[in-house]
Amino acid sequence: MFDLLFLGFGEILNLKILLVIFIGVVVGVIAGLIPGFTVAMAIVLTLPLTFGMEPVTGIAAMIGVFVGGMSGGLISAALLGIPGTPSSVATTFDAYPMAKKGQPGKALSIGIWASFLSSIVSLFILVTIAPQVSQFALKFGPWEMFALICLALTIIASVTGDSIIKGLIAGLFGLLISTVGADPIMGFARFTFDLDVLRAGIPFLVVLIGMFAISRLMQSLEKSQLEKDRLERLNEDASEMKFTLKPFQSLKKVISKPMTLIGSSVIGSIIGAIPGAGGSIANIVAYDQAKKWSKEPKKFGTGCEEGVVASEAGNNSTVGGDLIPTVALGIPGSAVTAVLLSALMVHGITPGPLLIVDEPNIVGGIFVAFFIASLAMLFTQFAGMRVFVKITQVPTHILVPIILVLCVVGTFVLNNRTTDLYILLAMGIIGYLFTKYKYALAPAIIGVILGPIAELNLRRAFMTDPDWTLFLSRPISLTFLVLTVLSILFTIWQTINAKKKAQA
Amino acid sequence: MGELIVALALVVLSFLIYTQSGDLPSMNESQLDAGSFPQFVAILLGGLSLILAIKQTIVLIKARKQNSETSIKQQLLYIVKEHQLVFITLALLFIYILAIQLIGFILSSILFIIVTAMVIGPRMKKSIVTVSSIAIILTISLYFFFQSVLQVRFPTGVFF
Repeated sequence: MFDLLFLGFGEILNLKILLVIFIGVVVGVIAGLIPGFTVAMAIVLTLPLTFGMEPVTGIAAMIGVFVGGMSGGLISAALLGIPGTPSSVATTFDAYPMAKKGQPGKALSIGIWASFLSSIVSLFILVTIAPQVSQFALKFGPWEMFALICLALTIIASVTGDSIIKGLIAGLFGLLISTVGADPIMGFARFTFDLDVLRAGIPFLVVLIGMFAISRLMQSLEKSQLEKDRLERLNEDASEMKFTLKPFQSLKKVISKPMTLIGSSVIGSIIGAIPGAGGSIANIVAYDQAKKWSKEPKKFGTGCEEGVVASEAGNNSTVGGDLIPTVALGIPGSAVTAVLLSALMVHGITPGPLLIVDEPNIVGGIFVAFFIASLAMLFTQFAGMRVFVKITQVPTHILVPIILVLCVVGTFVLNNRTTDLYILLAMGIIGYLFTKYKYALAPAIIGVILGPIAELNLRRAFMTDPDWTLFLSRPISLTFLVLTVLSILFTIWQTINAKKKAQA
Repeated sequence: MGELIVALALVVLSFLIYTQSGDLPSMNESQLDAGSFPQFVAILLGGLSLILAIKQTIVLIKARKQNSETSIKQQLLYIVKEHQLVFITLALLFIYILAIQLIGFILSSILFIIVTAMVIGPRMKKSIVTVSSIAIILTISLYFFFQSVLQVRFPTGVFF
């Protein structure tokens, strides 16, 4: 475990990489701050910029954006009562009342410390658990890998979106997208429908840019959305708010509540490690649990310190949790880690259980970059808060065309093909329709990235031994498949229960 | 209504994929060939979409009984109004993609940013100046960054 960290420090402690992480954090905070600009979008658009870098540098830059983005939502949540990202909904419950009571500086600095310390806790969990998980996963044959991917996809489908059936449909649709183009074993071109555009397949990143960035932008152009946006803007005057940050006093306050901090961080890390569940769920669950454990639950919601600590610790610690399956199994738990994995693939590194053995310096680099990014986040938030608050929101009519151009550039740079741009447009429209009819995008995205791995392992399993009952007779594989079925049944049972309650 | 159409479109897609997969060449050495995995996924996707489509139809029929007041024409009008900017922006994006190959990256990007900002935002002199300067600075810096750092050659078009 320490070898990995030493290797990581060796990789990351280099002036250029440190600078890159710092810039990444600033970009992330700004992305988290501007409503309508999500962290996933920022990461997707950062990726093309990192193609020219060494793999470790590129990954470090993206981790910077990730960590910064998770904490950026705090600012608008505390000062305006509007979550800048979905992961800071619960932060508004206590941080905003605290700011309204005349202590906006306190709310912000407690939030910043909670974010930082919880990142450290989740880093600790990541560093201890990830190597064990990957050691265990080394025993997996193709049967287990295929069963594991089935499990990951059903879990994602059940925790995101409107209903499990839509989640599963989205995931399967993602798998189908990934089958377009050359097949992974023999290289036959599939499903090109005689279109030259499709012969090379549908690149994962183009799907990601289209579904996450373009569809999100289109949503913000709907008339009712524009109207809502305009009204919110009239009520806001964050730039005129006066506050003083007291870093040291608030550090003491956060440390004096170790149980809330550690408890929420552990919850956040566990939720982060579940595929599909991320900051937005952890933020609320951690807040809720802290309220249940508290001796004075009535204080929650009125601007109490524990509420701010719990909610911010909850969302920031998902970063470490999210990285566990990503690093140890090669299975990303969210759109953000999916981009991280594809960045590795761009550099010719195959993610999977072997990653820690084959590329220990990359894995160590990821761990240390996470640590440095948390430090950089702490520093930039305290030093730059006044500037961040002054970034009065960029108006939609400027934001939209600029990001669209960045999407087009990012797509083009990927393969230097103009034909990919048409795929981008099509994916944007599909993604928009998906969100419009409440299909979650996350299962589709994870489906696209896991599709080739699932197919490869399924076919390998049958090549090794044509007996399909092996999926059921190998204990680990059976466990995964049983869990898959259980997760579907559990979600259905939950929806039926919820419906009954609503009727009663 | 839209939900039903999406579900039905997915059923059709699964059917297409399933039948296409049958035509893919297979090799005897393995049990599963290039078409098997897509067929497997297509069956699941088609089945689930069919269930969803049936569910939606039931919901629609129930809703029809309750309120038949709002006519289809009114609904369409609302949809067009609500999504006017979305349609226009997507159309502009399509034209932009075509234009990149015709008149080159720099010119088309600058024009795209200005036109789209004009369509979405206020059409005042002051904002035209800001948007145009942002468009020019952004496009040119992107162009030189990628050209020099990543050796990407953007399409130059007929003018240069």
